Amino acid sequence: MKQFKTILKFELDNYFKSKSYIISTIIICILAAGIMFAPRIKDAFKSGSSSSSSSNEENIEDLTKYAIYDATGIAEEESLKDMFADIHFVFCDSADQVKEMVKSEEAKKGFIVNSLTSFDYVVFNNSMMDQTGYDFKEYMALLNKMDYCRENNLNIDEFLAMEYQEIEMNEEILGKDSASNYWYCYALVIIIFMLIVMYGMTIASSVTNEKSNRSIEILVTSTSSTAILFGKVIAGAIATIFQVGLIGGSLIGSYQFNKAYWSSTFQAIFDIPSNVLVTFAIFGIGGFLVYAFMYGALGALVSKIEDLNKTAGTAQMIVTLVYVVSLINLMNVDGVIIKVLSFLPISSYSAMFARVAMGNVAVWEVIVSAVILYATVILVGIIGGKIFRNSTLRYGNPIKLSNALKGMKKEK
Amino acid sequence: MKLELRDIKKSFEDKEILHGISFSVESGKALGLLGRNGAGKTTTIRIIMDVFHANAGEILLDGTKFVPDGSQVGYLPEERGLYPKKIVKEQMIYLAMLRGMNKKQAAESTMKWLEKLEVLEYADRKLETLSKGNQQKVQLAATLVGEPSIVILDEPFSGLDPVNSQILKNVIRELISEGRIVIFSSHQMSYVEEFCEDIVIINHGENILSGHLDDIKMEYGKGRKILAAENYSLDELKKVCETKLSDYVEVLGVNKYDVILSVKEGVDQWKLLDAIKSCDIGIKHFGAYEPSLNDIFVSCVGEEEVVKVVEEEEPENKSKKRGLFGKAGK
Repeated sequence: MKQFKTILKFELDNYFKSKSYIISTIIICILAAGIMFAPRIKDAFKSGSSSSSSSNEENIEDLTKYAIYDATGIAEEESLKDMFADIHFVFCDSADQVKEMVKSEEAKKGFIVNSLTSFDYVVFNNSMMDQTGYDFKEYMALLNKMDYCRENNLNIDEFLAMEYQEIEMNEEILGKDSASNYWYCYALVIIIFMLIVMYGMTIASSVTNEKSNRSIEILVTSTSSTAILFGKVIAGAIATIFQVGLIGGSLIGSYQFNKAYWSSTFQAIFDIPSNVLVTFAIFGIGGFLVYAFMYGALGALVSKIEDLNKTAGTAQMIVTLVYVVSLINLMNVDGVIIKVLSFLPISSYSAMFARVAMGNVAVWEVIVSAVILYATVILVGIIGGKIFRNSTLRYGNPIKLSNALKGMKKEK
Repeated sequence: MKLELRDIKKSFEDKEILHGISFSVESGKALGLLGRNGAGKTTTIRIIMDVFHANAGEILLDGTKFVPDGSQVGYLPEERGLYPKKIVKEQMIYLAMLRGMNKKQAAESTMKWLEKLEVLEYADRKLETLSKGNQQKVQLAATLVGEPSIVILDEPFSGLDPVNSQILKNVIRELISEGRIVIFSSHQMSYVEEFCEDIVIINHGENILSGHLDDIKMEYGKGRKILAAENYSLDELKKVCETKLSDYVEVLGVNKYDVILSVKEGVDQWKLLDAIKSCDIGIKHFGAYEPSLNDIFVSCVGEEEVVKVVEEEEPENKSKKRGLFGKAGK
């Protein structure tokens, strides 16, 4: 125990005195805060520029240009301005001229109106999130309605008021609100996946480095290999929690400060119930430790840092598979797959808190899963220590995991 | 204090590497653990350190099972290993604490050993900024910082200049005089001869020779003579011995100054001397042959076809011996 504490302190010193750790923590904290401050800063600039422009005539040249050719003559400049406020429409004489303007990037997008019910949307490179075509379709639908009202002597305003009649809906959720919980679950699954992969590799590299510079030779002859592995892994977990805590604190703190500027965009993500946070912490730390011990033991199988990917690939594959399956099943948290995953120690770190956040789960299920997870942490730690002991002084080609396990059995 | 290894066997992946290593070493003495590369020395050392578990056999300290707790044994591995990017003092204190000292004791011991090895001025420097020789001395200081009662040194003089070698020699002599057990593994035979009273030679995972160095030298010199002539070169003298003295001696070889002869059964030295005179050899040297450790080592492990002779030396220490230049030592 005393030796474990000594190793833990030494390893923590390595993290906390490491320039890369300090610099990356500071940079990510600043970036996180910067993102949260972005709308406030943007707003400050916008209000400054709008006050100056209000005194001047609107500069048409500054607006985004769309080209339009209307063979039917139904599109009007006024109604277009109402529908597309920040766009300046350039009326063309032919469809070819529209295409030419888009091709030469004089206009960002173009529209060729063929009839009241048909138009061509012209764009140079189409992006995945482009909604302009649908917006113009809406505009055309409105023109149609106006035309219909004109022909049938109807008042367009009354017609539209009738069509878009507001119906009040009061939602009363007696269980859990999956719709609003989904996003923070999604974010937390990604975060824990990233932490496992990033810090797991750091722990594995630390072991391989010691093997590579032969300091492991001195260490394993001075103390038990289990104490070394536990010291390294627990130190890695503490350094991770500390770094993530600082980054999270910076993110949430600056969000709270700028909440008014974010409307409800992040509310669903940051408004995490405490029971979900506690479950995330318990299962996240447990899952992290299971994989950290795995990575530590795998790091001992190679002698050179460049060989690390060959052995660490096993853990990478498992954690990636769990990540993908968890994300896919996040829409169906009461399904069989996620129920099974929530009890497996390699996947409960993401599946169980997703069930707690969005599904139906009994307290006993959470307790059983946590017991399985932490029993596995101890088991993987002990097995990892034995693989570590068996492999640390075997140099040369990477040792196969199966051979390391066989060697471990024989050592018994 | 007496450390004993009894019939230690070790296998890796179904291949037996050590086939029954046995030797013992006592406080205040140094044991030379010798063998060619891959002979099994490091595996034996790691079994003593409890890094590897033996498949059979036992290690005893004063008659009871020996389980090292990290503080008892100081090990200087052949492949040096410390943290290149860490401060010398910090990593030594860390190692001392791992070996059971508190922080204050660890700091004091660190300073003591750095001073003794004349590298105290580098205590606050990163290891990688030191010269190879100074890194080597720091490595030795790190071995001794836990004040171990058993010290295992694997090629401790590697990379040291004569001045640093002298510093290290003084430290090793001090360790021996303080009553610590010192196991010394090296290919530099002159150092082994200088420090070790007893030796063990391991080859292909078995100890082929062990015992007191003086006894071994005497045994290997028994029945052997050296001869040099004023009127013949060594090669000419060798030919003369092979042709004219073949009834009395067998020529074993030639070293830098003499021809080495094995005296045949029933021939006493006076008879041999008369025979030499009768061959018109002007005697420059004639005397008992005293093999160097290097000669003994080469004769033991340098020729695979060497005849193996088992000899009982002490009741509790069955040692195996091989003859010099292919012949039995007795």
